[in-house]
Amino acid sequence: MTLRAEGISVRRGGRVLLDDVSFAANAGEIVGIIGPNGAGKTTLFEAVAGFLPDAAGKVEGAAFFYLPDGIRPWSERRAGWVLDFFARLFARERDHAAVAALQLEHLLPQRIGSLSKGEAKRVALALALSAPLPVLLLDEPFDGLDFRQTRGAMALLRERANAGRTLVLSIHQLTDAAAICSRFLLLDHGRAIASGTLAELRARAGRCDATLEEVFLALE
Amino acid sequence: MRSSEFRALLSKDCRELFGSTAFTLLLLVAGPLTGMSFIAAMRAYAEASGAGGGAAALASALSPLDGLLVPTLGALDLLITFLVPFVAIRLVSDEKRSGALTLLLQAPQSVASQLVSKLVALLSGWLLCLIPAFVAIALWLGYGGHLAIGETANLLLGHTLRYLLTCCVAIVAASLLDSAASAAIAVLSFTIGTWALDFFAAGRGGWIERLARYTPSAMLRPFERGLLSLDSVVASSVAALLLLVLAAAFVNVRAPFRARAARATVVIVAAIALLFVPTNRSADVSEDRRNSFPPADEALLHSIEQPLTIRMYLAAEDPRANDYERNVLTKLRRSVRELRVDYPYAGQSALFENDDRYGTIVYELGAKKAESRSTTEEIVLDELETLAGRTPPARGESSYPGYPLRASPRGAAVLFHAVWPLLIVIVRRLCSRRTG
Repeated sequence: MTLRAEGISVRRGGRVLLDDVSFAANAGEIVGIIGPNGAGKTTLFEAVAGFLPDAAGKVEGAAFFYLPDGIRPWSERRAGWVLDFFARLFARERDHAAVAALQLEHLLPQRIGSLSKGEAKRVALALALSAPLPVLLLDEPFDGLDFRQTRGAMALLRERANAGRTLVLSIHQLTDAAAICSRFLLLDHGRAIASGTLAELRARAGRCDATLEEVFLALE
Repeated sequence: MRSSEFRALLSKDCRELFGSTAFTLLLLVAGPLTGMSFIAAMRAYAEASGAGGGAAALASALSPLDGLLVPTLGALDLLITFLVPFVAIRLVSDEKRSGALTLLLQAPQSVASQLVSKLVALLSGWLLCLIPAFVAIALWLGYGGHLAIGETANLLLGHTLRYLLTCCVAIVAASLLDSAASAAIAVLSFTIGTWALDFFAAGRGGWIERLARYTPSAMLRPFERGLLSLDSVVASSVAALLLLVLAAAFVNVRAPFRARAARATVVIVAAIALLFVPTNRSADVSEDRRNSFPPADEALLHSIEQPLTIRMYLAAEDPRANDYERNVLTKLRRSVRELRVDYPYAGQSALFENDDRYGTIVYELGAKKAESRSTTEEIVLDELETLAGRTPPARGESSYPGYPLRASPRGAAVLFHAVWPLLIVIVRRLCSRRTG
């Protein structure tokens, strides 16, 4: 097992944000953490990545990199400079393949702050992919992308998973999740309601031809 | 960490600093503010030197340190107090707000090295802020003025240490608090608090006066008097280091709460311990040796082995207390091996006091005791040396010639109020086109 998180719980002022959530990811696997807004997906990632030190639970396995949603790091700098700088921190060069696959070439001279939501998201994805760690936790990697960009980003992530990288994606668009993830963790109101492949989830819901959305509604 | 990785961090922080509007505004203000102080100081200096037909002051009383350097560089003090904190806070707060910090905390570089990189960038920024001061110094020399290298460098060192401390306090506030606005309020509150402490602790003695010696403005004072205070240098450097450790504990949100709390506790304990480090190690680098007694008296006082106790029956607000502190006590602290000063009127105004002892200063050396009302250096020296059973040495006139200068600051206004701002705007525009 490349990454295992067990019994992750987060409480804030008497409110339970996450309640004993566990998941695991194998090498080369794409695991989807899915659920509606407020389900606890981002909180789970923050807890696993250590940004909520008071969270309970245990995380073990390979080193990983967490890419939060909605960030615009160093917004006054140009995208190309930011990609180069971040790669240098890991003693590497810019991930040119990711830049090409995400169609970022024409954005490289632009300031991060001037990019649209989707453009900034693609730059952030390229940043995360330049971190040479075996596991990536990506929070809403397709949020803000149009359908062509989403397909391009999915193809790139699949390619990286096939090369042995483990990806854990938090996705609230269930059609996107069904299109890329091989296994799922269904979260609702801070609780894990089910986990497994789509076939396993369908079997558990008793609906053998249901979509992921229908499975989620049946199990919640 | 490889040096190339630190260079990457430093390059990022320098770009973030020098490319920011906040820093441009700081530089923009630095010129006219320094210029205004310089021009006003030069005019006053020329007037005191007898320009315009007025009566000239005694030449030996005209010192460029007091007359020109301190007021001109006083502009830097205003910058450091009111503008620099915002620039330093922005460097940390922007990364917190934009999510960049979340990425950096996962990079291989330690949090400490990331903060050090910010501090180095800020120190580079300080060198740019100093340019108007160097221009003022060059103009002064060009007008025929005199400067002593030692006291000039010493004063610049004092302001640099003050800048360093202010930056570190700002970094801690920005690391601890969520928004830049909250951090700015915290730093300004800290500054106001240190002013209040300075005011409250004056002439009180004891731990509170010792604490007040470490406020940023108090630490600058010896440097303004031409005193290279080793205590201030060490205290500022150690305080900056401790503040960085504290900031690292606050920034690194991935560290367990207990570890961060333990680190913060260690820093606070170390800071308190710093208060008990023996003080008063200093070197008088002023050209007129204003912080020292004549060498013969110094040698004589230093040979006294018994502890000297001084009881000063003066309220802190009394001008005589101020005179005595500046002209006598500062020098005694540097000359006598063991000195204890008591302030029986600490915290009292003495306005309604009927105590006959008010105004007296009592000296105790072993079993011997003497009493005086004088705050004049020579009289106090005679008193002390006689009390120690020694013969006061002969004292000559000061050899300091003084440096009157009747020049007017020609061209300075154009340089500081027009050329400098224009230069900053042009450089900023050129840089924003070229850098990414």
